[in-house]
Amino acid sequence: MTKFIFDLDGTVTKQETLPLISKHFGIQAEMDNLTMETVKGNIPFIESFIRRVYILGQLPIDEVCDLLEGVELYEKVVDFISQHSEDCLIATGNLECWVDKLAKKVGCCCYCSDGLIEDNKVLKLTSILKKENLVQRYQSEGEKVVFIGDGNNDVEAMRMADVSIGSGLTHMPANSVLSIADYLVFNEEALCRQLNQLL
Amino acid sequence: MSSTKSVIISAAGLGSRLGLAKTKALININGKSLIRWQLDLFKDVEDVRIVVGFQAHDVIDEVRGYRDDVIFVYNHNYFDSKTGASYYLGARDGNELAIEFDGDLLVHPEDMQMLLEQEGEWIAYADKMSDDAVLVKTNQVGDVLSFSRERGDYEWTGPCCVTKDKLRYSSGHVFNQLEPYLPMRGIKIRACDIDTYEDYQRALEFIKRW
Repeated sequence: MTKFIFDLDGTVTKQETLPLISKHFGIQAEMDNLTMETVKGNIPFIESFIRRVYILGQLPIDEVCDLLEGVELYEKVVDFISQHSEDCLIATGNLECWVDKLAKKVGCCCYCSDGLIEDNKVLKLTSILKKENLVQRYQSEGEKVVFIGDGNNDVEAMRMADVSIGSGLTHMPANSVLSIADYLVFNEEALCRQLNQLL
Repeated sequence: MSSTKSVIISAAGLGSRLGLAKTKALININGKSLIRWQLDLFKDVEDVRIVVGFQAHDVIDEVRGYRDDVIFVYNHNYFDSKTGASYYLGARDGNELAIEFDGDLLVHPEDMQMLLEQEGEWIAYADKMSDDAVLVKTNQVGDVLSFSRERGDYEWTGPCCVTKDKLRYSSGHVFNQLEPYLPMRGIKIRACDIDTYEDYQRALEFIKRW
């Protein structure tokens, strides 16, 4: 059997979710600076992620969750997922409390990072999803794993996956993704064609 | 065209024999890049898969200026591999029948259309034209019996079409992938291979006659 693991931001959603949250709450400048330093390589990805969650953690969880529920999705990709929901998974570094409603719309199992919640805010991060562990887990169960992603935090999972597809649906994937990907696609038709060929 | 076919364009190579300091896909043929001439041939084909390696970013940009639904296939080992590896990589997760089209090839549009309409497996060849050709030996009905550097009736130019299950990762050329399955149905076409600068000059003339 084949398991399809999708990154969420920019692969299933038409927008990156963290910039969307920061724009909505007017903290764009602070977040953009952090993102820019991360892209330049001045701040390691994990540290950047922890710092971003710390900033966003102060925001009301229910409002963030409602905001993300309204984010536009790639319809054909979501159709593929819902037609094969038993074999599709979402893997996102986002916190479960933020993407809970969004994940329900997509309609398959969703693996996220987790946090300690108090008074509708995130007190602290309790776990960060390592996407490569998911790949390893399904491979150890004898599954062929296809991973679809675009960011630096997808690279290890894509390197380990049996088939890796760089998604350029929203933006050009990170160079680190391009250096290991088997395939690269830029629109939904191409992605879904390839996914169907891999069934 | 049947949806059980994929077209694989192998555009991963260095194009070092040509001496124009760029991958062949990007060379200019009468005002248009070679890859665009090729994409014109496949404008009605749904599953076009382009194998990229050397100058991948530039090739991808060039293709996306024309169509956005191509599946790009990476041959990360392009420096140490040949077209046989690219054919396998391009075909392995595609449709059942895989048409291989070398990144340095031009085929007359009428002949390419005829090839796309063929059922099953085939190998295409042309009159001898290139300086550095691999030749094919054929029988009376045009089936391909063997490939050879020394002698043959026609020039092996490709394209070819085989079921993807016949392909393996290999360090050889496309014709090496086909050799175990000979004899195979052969089809003569008008085509021009661009390996050297003299081939390039011939290609410019070849296109003028379309």
